[in-house]
Amino acid sequence: MFSEQAAQRAHTLLSPPSANNATFARVPVSSYTNSSQPFRLGERSFSRQYAHIYATRLLQMRPFLVSRAKQRWGGGVQVKKLCELQPGEKCCVVGTLFKAMPLQPSILREISEEHNLLPQPPRSKYIHPDDELVLEDELQRIRLEGDVDASRLVTGTVLAVLGSARDSGKFVVEDHCFAELAPQKPAPPLDTDRFVLLVSGLGLGGGGGESLLGTQLLVDVVTGQLGDEGEQCSAAHVSRVILAGNLLSHNTQSRDSINKAKYLTKKTQAASVEAVRMLDEILLQLSASVPVDVMPGEFDPTNYTLPQQPLHPCMFPLATAYSTLQLVTNPYQATIDGVRFLGTSGQNVSDIFRYSSMEDHLEILEWTLRVRHISPTAPDTL
Amino acid sequence: MADQLYLENIDEFVTDQNKIVTYKWLSYTLGVHVNQAKQMLYDYVERKRKENSGAQLHVTYLVSGSLIQNGHSCHKVAVVREDKLEAVKSKLAVTASIHVYSIQKAMLKDSGPLFNTDYDILKSNLQNCSKFSAIHCAAAVPRAAVESSSSEKFEQSNLQVSSETPANNELTTNGHSPPTSKQIFQQPKGIMGMFASKAASKTQDANKETKTETKEVFSTGNKAPGKGNVMSNFFGKAAMNKLKVNLDSEQAVKEEKIVEQPPVSVTEPKLAAPTGLKKSSKKAEPVKMQQKEKKRGKRVELSDDETKETENMKKKRRRIKLPESDSSEDEVIPDSPGDYEAESPSPPPPPPSPPPEPVPKTEPEPPSVKSSSGEKRKRKRVLKSKTFVDEEGCMVTEKVYESESCTDSEEELKMKTSSIHRPSTMTVKKEPKEERKGPKKGTAALGKANRQVSITGFFQRK
Repeated sequence: MFSEQAAQRAHTLLSPPSANNATFARVPVSSYTNSSQPFRLGERSFSRQYAHIYATRLLQMRPFLVSRAKQRWGGGVQVKKLCELQPGEKCCVVGTLFKAMPLQPSILREISEEHNLLPQPPRSKYIHPDDELVLEDELQRIRLEGDVDASRLVTGTVLAVLGSARDSGKFVVEDHCFAELAPQKPAPPLDTDRFVLLVSGLGLGGGGGESLLGTQLLVDVVTGQLGDEGEQCSAAHVSRVILAGNLLSHNTQSRDSINKAKYLTKKTQAASVEAVRMLDEILLQLSASVPVDVMPGEFDPTNYTLPQQPLHPCMFPLATAYSTLQLVTNPYQATIDGVRFLGTSGQNVSDIFRYSSMEDHLEILEWTLRVRHISPTAPDTL
Repeated sequence: MADQLYLENIDEFVTDQNKIVTYKWLSYTLGVHVNQAKQMLYDYVERKRKENSGAQLHVTYLVSGSLIQNGHSCHKVAVVREDKLEAVKSKLAVTASIHVYSIQKAMLKDSGPLFNTDYDILKSNLQNCSKFSAIHCAAAVPRAAVESSSSEKFEQSNLQVSSETPANNELTTNGHSPPTSKQIFQQPKGIMGMFASKAASKTQDANKETKTETKEVFSTGNKAPGKGNVMSNFFGKAAMNKLKVNLDSEQAVKEEKIVEQPPVSVTEPKLAAPTGLKKSSKKAEPVKMQQKEKKRGKRVELSDDETKETENMKKKRRRIKLPESDSSEDEVIPDSPGDYEAESPSPPPPPPSPPPEPVPKTEPEPPSVKSSSGEKRKRKRVLKSKTFVDEEGCMVTEKVYESESCTDSEEELKMKTSSIHRPSTMTVKKEPKEERKGPKKGTAALGKANRQVSITGFFQRK
């Protein structure tokens, strides 16, 4: 659509210079609200137990799940807590899922001497046919069996299961459902076409030796330097650019300097310094022309655990001069021109990918929407 | 503007200078809109080819359009060589734009040189990279230097625009500013402390980006809480300009009326020219310094011409040894130059500094003033750390001079303390005890240099 729009204007550039050159004004941001305050950390304490997180999660999701369950299985279905279960009785239970995976790297097993285990090499997927599902609610937990695909589900999902308890202490599942999608507010109508550009994985500082021409071309298209008039006009409709993580490449994370002797590394700079400098120049070009939101990613210099805090503005002395530059958290939520955006830099999707059999990342993304939770595996494995 | 001029220009660039002429490079060099640059390039190619079909010109084009790849339609933008142009064009479902990207004499093997050309010209035009672009964004207005906490701005002497806020920012954003500024900030404080012990009025040193030579920094009078306002300090030449700016800002901020104030404004114009006075005052400072300060790591020398002058005058009056001529500078106690030199390498020098001795700050003055009053218990400026959250939500800890009653001995301590700030790092809180130790540890190089030259000073201090 971008291209078609761009192609509509006549090609004028393969011709002798003309005196008047069109300049397009970028579409002004009609409305923007940053709603990622919940992701900002105040003080950080690492002494909290995860149980509270799960408890809150269950508490909040319970009403949605109950209504969905009633919708799906009829209003007469009984929703019970695990402690009220009677054997043989068909009912619906709402709880958090826990998947016991033998292949999951466990720090306790690693340091346990009696097993004499070597640390596991990282694998791409940790699923195993022997994985078991356990449903936990506020007070109890019960093993799940039956018509539930253990390989697709991950720890931390809150769901409702329909089935009955057996005498053996397991719950046989006949059907299950998630909270599904929440009702959407209709997006307000727009007067012109607006585009939001999502960029990720710039991978600066990769040290591969290849030039950054590709990145530079992208910046040029967005800032309106490249392309014919039609394309520049279309580029002017890009109302925002979101850089979604992994701005620095994996190579900048090299931790060699930790292992090397101090005298060898004394004068060397971290690779990320140079990469951040390049990033600053790119950001300067971009923010001189379009509002930019920068989200940190897995390899970027900020804290590692989610929610990642915004990159510090001192790293971008040139670009922070422009108020169009915004450094935001990961995950990031904002309402841009009436449309609500929620995104992450991908760590949650990769994590779900590792612990479930779902292969397509887009499918995983859709699944998180259905489960109504961006990253169910946190804080367990993420 | 002649239409043919650009043709000649391009011709010259390509054939004579053997440059790679990209549209962006041409746009910046000739100061024209990017589209016009592209058209110019095309025109040139056409004409050249018509005139001389054997012309050695290699042209690259930019092609963009939509491409169906793996079942998805994507918008592709590519730089292609002339020979591949048709092939790429045919692959695109819809061609959005084609234009000349660059012209060069030799065949390019990869995109490296193209990128480098653009990168170089961009670097030299960083501030107005969107000037010739086809899209103008109304929202993208650079913040005034006032708001920006970028130290680079300071270093580039953009301070001219500044008000006290830059000074503020610099001070407040400790984490941001380069070490020099940190040091500067601390050093003035240290000096202030030193002065505080001696004189009634403490002057503040504003943080200066400039290298702080650790002579005394002494600006009598101006003090803004949480900001370093430098009144007169010794500065290297490089620091001069910054001082000027800072002075301006400080003037706005002044909390107290300082003797130097009027002289500051008066002497500002003179700042540019280092004067003999300055030198002599600088000399005076070292002299004084030695007498008064024992171990100081680095001394910040912030020099305000203005303040210097007045202070110098005063100092001269008071000091016996103060030489009045330039040559006296050389005679200055050897450790002073040593001090200065030692100082210079340590803080990353923003400006190259070949400073004439930094003008000694009014440090001698305040002390003398104080001593003249002869009181033991006075309200002095004490270096304290204040922690607060600034406008950007960053936590900032600053050393501020606060008036406080204290005895002479305490002041002495503080003086030492302040000197210690210089050498190091960003310690936020220094207590007198630590500072006492501090001078001993001090920046190794500086300290040693200092010590070596003024070993007597060390002992005298005790």
